[in-house]
Amino acid sequence: MKFFLRQTAALVKLSFLELWRRNDVFALVLLALALMAPLSMATPFGAAGASRCLDEVALLLVWAFSLFVSIGAGQRLFRPEFESRTVYPLFSKPVSRTRILAGKYLGALASAWSALALFYALFTGSALLRGTGFGAALPQAIALHAAFVALAVALSLLGSLVMSASANSTLCAIALAGMFFFGRRLPDFAAGAGGIVSWLVRAAYAIGPHAEFFDMRQRLVHGWGAIDPLAFAAVLAYAAAYTAALLCVAAAVLKRKRL
Amino acid sequence: MNSSDAAVKAENLCRTFGGRLAVDGLSLELNPGEVMGFLGTNGAGKTTTIKMLTGLDRPTSGTVTVFGGDPADPATRAKIGYMPEIAYYYPWLNARELLAFYGGMCGMDRRTVKSRSDELLETVGLADAAKRPLKTYSKGMLQRAGIAQALLADPPLLVLDEPFTGLDPLARIRFRELMRSLRERGKAIFFSSHELGETELLCDRVAIMKNGRCVYQGPVRDIAGDGCGNLERLFLKTLEDAK
Repeated sequence: MKFFLRQTAALVKLSFLELWRRNDVFALVLLALALMAPLSMATPFGAAGASRCLDEVALLLVWAFSLFVSIGAGQRLFRPEFESRTVYPLFSKPVSRTRILAGKYLGALASAWSALALFYALFTGSALLRGTGFGAALPQAIALHAAFVALAVALSLLGSLVMSASANSTLCAIALAGMFFFGRRLPDFAAGAGGIVSWLVRAAYAIGPHAEFFDMRQRLVHGWGAIDPLAFAAVLAYAAAYTAALLCVAAAVLKRKRL
Repeated sequence: MNSSDAAVKAENLCRTFGGRLAVDGLSLELNPGEVMGFLGTNGAGKTTTIKMLTGLDRPTSGTVTVFGGDPADPATRAKIGYMPEIAYYYPWLNARELLAFYGGMCGMDRRTVKSRSDELLETVGLADAAKRPLKTYSKGMLQRAGIAQALLADPPLLVLDEPFTGLDPLARIRFRELMRSLRERGKAIFFSSHELGETELLCDRVAIMKNGRCVYQGPVRDIAGDGCGNLERLFLKTLEDAK
């Protein structure tokens, strides 16, 4: 057990250090700070509605940055290892490929969650400075967002095993952002479309990662309060199942991968 | 000696890539306390063989065992210290962090990793550069970091792919001394190289590969008796005869 924990801890630390020692995450944090600091100080016309608008902008930034970090963290897990051949000494160590995958995933997740915590700290700080509170909805929103990040990292990890880094990040961004913005409209679109297009849209809706399930921005901005605990648990279960399925496929791909 | 006593035992090892035979019927045995040099021209099948010995690749046919175990099994790989041909390591880590990472991968506890790292960084001459990121290292320094990571868990078998690449003369001398001391401690060492002079100085036995086939295997001390005089002449003659 100790052996396993030491191996996992080493992999987690490696992925964590990689993300934080590269400058792009720091650039994102600085950008978030630069964008949210003025939002916290702005009181346009002294109107509550305008303040809600600023919250919406800030939350959209948090989502955009977290998507960038999640995809970035996942896409670096395997492709660069294969390209730079660091995979040879790694795979020659007494550790199974499945354990390497699990450890690397946990490391990427830890780094993406740490970035998410920073983004939410900035968002909450800027909202509090404007005198806005979110009540019980905020912890729920953060939990769902964290679950979405777990799913996004797993998707990007799978992509890093089967395609180039640029193709992976592009496809992940299209799939996740597409579902985030248009996912809830797909059934209506499928009903309106005919023939094969309708079937394709239905298939995309059935198998696509439903990013829109995790989005509580409107509830936070308009103060609609927390969602039903059962619905909350169902979305978390969906994220867990989807993430587990992605990781199982990734483990199968990695096991068969030739060096 | 039964087969489980042999550090490496390969029998009729074959590896094909899309119909091309990269390794063709290789059989060899390496015992503890022995150093074997693995020679051949580029594309002769040396690195493919090394990948099969270290569990990084599976043979198409034939068998390979390391201390009687399958190298694809992580428990067997715990007995192997491997240094790849091209020493690429994580550029954002420093040498100490790199060894801490690989120590963790070998399941070593933090205190042991620390003391082994201190000792090895001193041995390979990287103690002064231990806190510098690897991206600032020269090729030779990366090679030395690679040697340190291979030795970290004190494995009974060392598999080194072109270990002399990038090493300056002083580092080569130190490396040779290190290999000799490891052999005296009973370690089995298997390394591929293009450096015939170094190989002759270091090895007990050599194997020469050509187009995936092992065309010579024998003790270095017999080379003079072969009428070749030195390894370079033997190498050239063997490749010529194998045409």
